[in-house]
Amino acid sequence: MDYVFLIPILPLLSFLIILFTKPIYKKAGLVGTTLTGAAFLCSLVVLFSHFAQGNYLVEANWFSIDTVMISVGLEVNPLNALMLVIVTLVSFLVHMYSMGYMANDERYATFFSYLGLFTFSMTGLVLSPNLLQLYMFWELVGVCSFLLVGFYFYKPEARAAAKKAFIMTRIGDVGLLVAIFLLFWQTGSFELDVIFQAAQAGDIAPSLLTLIAILIFVGAVGKSGQFPLHTWLPDAMEGPTPVSALIHAATMVAAGVYLVAVTYPLFSASEVAMTTVAVTGGFTAIFAATIALAETDMKRILAYSTISQLGYMMLALGAAGYTAGVFHLTTHAFFKALLFLAAGSVIHAVHEQNIFKMGGLSKKLPKTAALFLIGSLSISGFPLLAGFFSKDEILATTYGDGRYVLFVIGLLTAFLTALYMFRLYFLVFLGNRSTEAREAPSVMLIPMMVLGVLAVVGGYIQTNWFGTFLGDWLETTPYTIAFVHPEAPFWIPLVASLLAIGGIAVAWLVYGRKTSIEESNERNGLHTLLYRKYYVDELYQGLFVRGSRVVAYFWMYVDRFIIEGGAAAVTYAVKRFGQAGVKLQSGQVQTYSTVAFSGLVVVLLLIAVLGGYF
Amino acid sequence: MDMETLLQYEWNSMWPEFTILLTAVALSLIDLFMNKKKDRSLLIWLALAGIAVAIVCLVLQFDDGVVSILNETYRLDSFAKAFKFLMLIGTGFVLLLGVPDESTSVRGEYIYLILTALLGGMMMASSADLITLFVGLELLSLSSYVLVGIRKTNPLANEAAFKYVVNGGIATAITLFGMSYLYGLTGETNIYEIQGLMGSDVVTDNRFLAVFAFLMIVVGLAFKITAAPFHMWAPDVYQGAETPVTAFLSVVSKIAGFAIMLRLLMVPFVFAPGTGEIITPDGISYETLLVSVRPYLVLLAIVTILVGNVIALRQLNAKRLFAYSSIAHAGYLLVPLAALSELVFEAVWFYLTAYLLMNIGAFAVIHVMSAEEEVTVASFAGLFKRAPYLTIAMSIYLLSLAGIPLTAGFIGKFEIFMSALGTEPKRYLLVTAMLAGTVLSYVYYFGLFVQMYFRPSKRQTPVTISNGVTAVLAITAAGTVLLGVFPSIALTFIHDHFQFLEIFNP
Repeated sequence: MDYVFLIPILPLLSFLIILFTKPIYKKAGLVGTTLTGAAFLCSLVVLFSHFAQGNYLVEANWFSIDTVMISVGLEVNPLNALMLVIVTLVSFLVHMYSMGYMANDERYATFFSYLGLFTFSMTGLVLSPNLLQLYMFWELVGVCSFLLVGFYFYKPEARAAAKKAFIMTRIGDVGLLVAIFLLFWQTGSFELDVIFQAAQAGDIAPSLLTLIAILIFVGAVGKSGQFPLHTWLPDAMEGPTPVSALIHAATMVAAGVYLVAVTYPLFSASEVAMTTVAVTGGFTAIFAATIALAETDMKRILAYSTISQLGYMMLALGAAGYTAGVFHLTTHAFFKALLFLAAGSVIHAVHEQNIFKMGGLSKKLPKTAALFLIGSLSISGFPLLAGFFSKDEILATTYGDGRYVLFVIGLLTAFLTALYMFRLYFLVFLGNRSTEAREAPSVMLIPMMVLGVLAVVGGYIQTNWFGTFLGDWLETTPYTIAFVHPEAPFWIPLVASLLAIGGIAVAWLVYGRKTSIEESNERNGLHTLLYRKYYVDELYQGLFVRGSRVVAYFWMYVDRFIIEGGAAAVTYAVKRFGQAGVKLQSGQVQTYSTVAFSGLVVVLLLIAVLGGYF
Repeated sequence: MDMETLLQYEWNSMWPEFTILLTAVALSLIDLFMNKKKDRSLLIWLALAGIAVAIVCLVLQFDDGVVSILNETYRLDSFAKAFKFLMLIGTGFVLLLGVPDESTSVRGEYIYLILTALLGGMMMASSADLITLFVGLELLSLSSYVLVGIRKTNPLANEAAFKYVVNGGIATAITLFGMSYLYGLTGETNIYEIQGLMGSDVVTDNRFLAVFAFLMIVVGLAFKITAAPFHMWAPDVYQGAETPVTAFLSVVSKIAGFAIMLRLLMVPFVFAPGTGEIITPDGISYETLLVSVRPYLVLLAIVTILVGNVIALRQLNAKRLFAYSSIAHAGYLLVPLAALSELVFEAVWFYLTAYLLMNIGAFAVIHVMSAEEEVTVASFAGLFKRAPYLTIAMSIYLLSLAGIPLTAGFIGKFEIFMSALGTEPKRYLLVTAMLAGTVLSYVYYFGLFVQMYFRPSKRQTPVTISNGVTAVLAITAAGTVLLGVFPSIALTFIHDHFQFLEIFNP
């Protein structure tokens, strides 16, 4: 346990070594991978010693203002021990994968130095025992995300996306910062445990507590791409694909969910805050899932899928499902990282991202196809895979919490998830379009295989059949949270499985047999049975796909025009104000003096009128 | 006053000022008699030596108590020492920036005018009398006017100097007008005497005039610290002046402006009655003047933050961009003052320290690049390829200016937030404006980032950096990070050596 400080230090070391030793250009990947791998081993050791020794906390005084002491420290509890393992594992695998993926990039070393800095910041965030420290690393991961999204800086879209990602998430961060200061002035401390004690003792007025919880959630909304601050995340796909896997799927965007989980005692004390979280999460889940159905860019589909799944986690947390949210965060990290890495492998092979321009890749890239299939099945909630268990837990919790509308939304989202994932899968990997492609090198395949295994078995840490290890362990967290053990009706997993399989089937009927549809057209007059089958397809097409596509396009336009439009309006107003200011700055001394004197006159008039001397 | 009293004064408390004065006089004489063709860089090193001696003298005085000499017009207290310390260090950096290399030269006037300006600033920090405060202010201002116009043949510089003189003149007139009311109300010029007389019946009967005097002084000094809407001269002047002079104006001159503002606003007016009436069982009493005028200070701070940040978004010239950025920072610095926080001196001092490091650093980078062309935002394109270390230094300054954690700027902003939220009632409006301004500022600071890292460069040649500038870059970048990671260095230093509240004791 005393070596826990090594976990952030090793990636930092990787960053510094690569930054200052540019000459070992081709070794940068190796250095980064080794050090992150070591950090992963440390995290495993910490995880296992946590089983044996329980929670751990070390702190030191950083500085003091007036009489307030600000401290820094490291904390290990069940939640962050788990996060540490996820972060360092995915980071290690992405490092390894990038050695292949980025091999021909001329800024190979720079890329690995940024990855090191990111891993340092992310582990630092997770280990923070107080909100101020957490906030600082929260900002740092934002800076890293900015650098990595803009990595292909020669593309104007990448530059725009980097800036957008940074500034949009900053809007959320302001909410978080204000919440932190409010908590400070209520409790006199930034320390999480002091704050929780105060909250539980009722030292914070309930209405203020609700406000604080919602402000914290605003921070989480920005970071985790929840509606309405989600638009930066699809754009952030301009970054290199390993970055999308690491930052924009498995770790940084999950930090919002993590934040809500960390400050969970504040949320659970306020019914309004919980409902806000659940509703925002549920709405985001279905909203983003429908948009994923209409997108044509492989990575953007996955991005919307990430938004939707993060919404799922928020829904779980809002429905008092602490375990369910954290559980889904874990399994999602595995299968979504896998999907992104496999997508990267496809993009690496065919240099194309539009799914309608791909096809038949399962013959050319058999291993990637198999791994992508595992990821898709897992995210769709196919029985007995990781995603199945965590999704089931969320649905059971939502049902048990009595939020039936959200429960139905959750079910619908599960169906849509299967539909859009397999639309993607069938269009890209099946069909007989032949594209030139070569399978990725093993340095890229091995990380995907590891994640593939986890995407299959990762769910068994928390099942109703073999034991709720995760839930029991999370309950040893130092702050008492009202843990809910949902009594899941037996039919929920059944319905969920049926919906997942149904989604896959619809996708198969519409997209999977694209070639056979053409063949059946020829046989139409001959074979009525086939014709009828085709008719069923049309029905499916009409009922499910076209229906949901109308919704999908509707939301896509809402997204594009209303939300982006709102952002544009604010930008425009600021711009016009700036223009007016620039116009006033004419270079004429007369104008300057006029402005100054006007200011003086206004002040004097105000004091004369308001002071009652007029 | 006879000779005996004069000799009894504790003259040694003025050693830092004497050192600067003597150095300035000596340098002007040397410049006069030196061969016209000879290189003047020797003078810079002499000036730096003078500043070093002054800093040593000042540090030796750190733990002395309050000393007041020259008929109570000169006063050495913690406040004065803390601000003089910053000004001396800032001027040292500015002089280092001006060290010429093989291709450039330096004018002698430039060096000793900077020293006289510094002397003016030090007087502003250490004076306890309206007259000496004003003399200090004018010494700083007049020296600055000449410094701005020192490139006689450059039309931009001429224009800048002209605008500066006109606007400075207006500012002086308004300040003096306000001071005249103070004198009229109390019949005293010593600010501690005024403080004592502010509770008198004359003042209570003419409370409005006291408020009027206060606001006139605020407006007059707002020019010096570039608070909006009295900031309009700054972008033109910053652009027209040579970069080291710009650095001096944006840092040392601003520190002096805040020093005089804090002393002249807080000390005389602290016990003055304001306009609002409070009805108590014993009769009518009045709220204090500082409470009455607080809305105006809040307004000034908010307008300054917003104007600085919003207009900065549209700037293409680097020096103009940093002019607006420094206007915005003046707005942040007004926040603890407007919040009337107990932490105001500490918060302002720490933020000025951070601001000194990061802003002088940024101007040092602009100075390096201005050797090639007039520096625009586009000039930063591809800088990382051409000069990686320069870019890393600039990144540190930009992160700090934007208030990103682990930099001095973050701790500075943090302390300002604490000061604004630590008062009762909490200043949410100020905090909101500051947060909004900070978010806006990301757009232009990170715009520069995008240029430096993400854009291809037009030039391929490496950037040449003189030794003086290298020293400034190294010290300021290291300082920015050091104060960001270990802020307790500075905070403990303040705590151990400065008792800011002694500013109020006559």
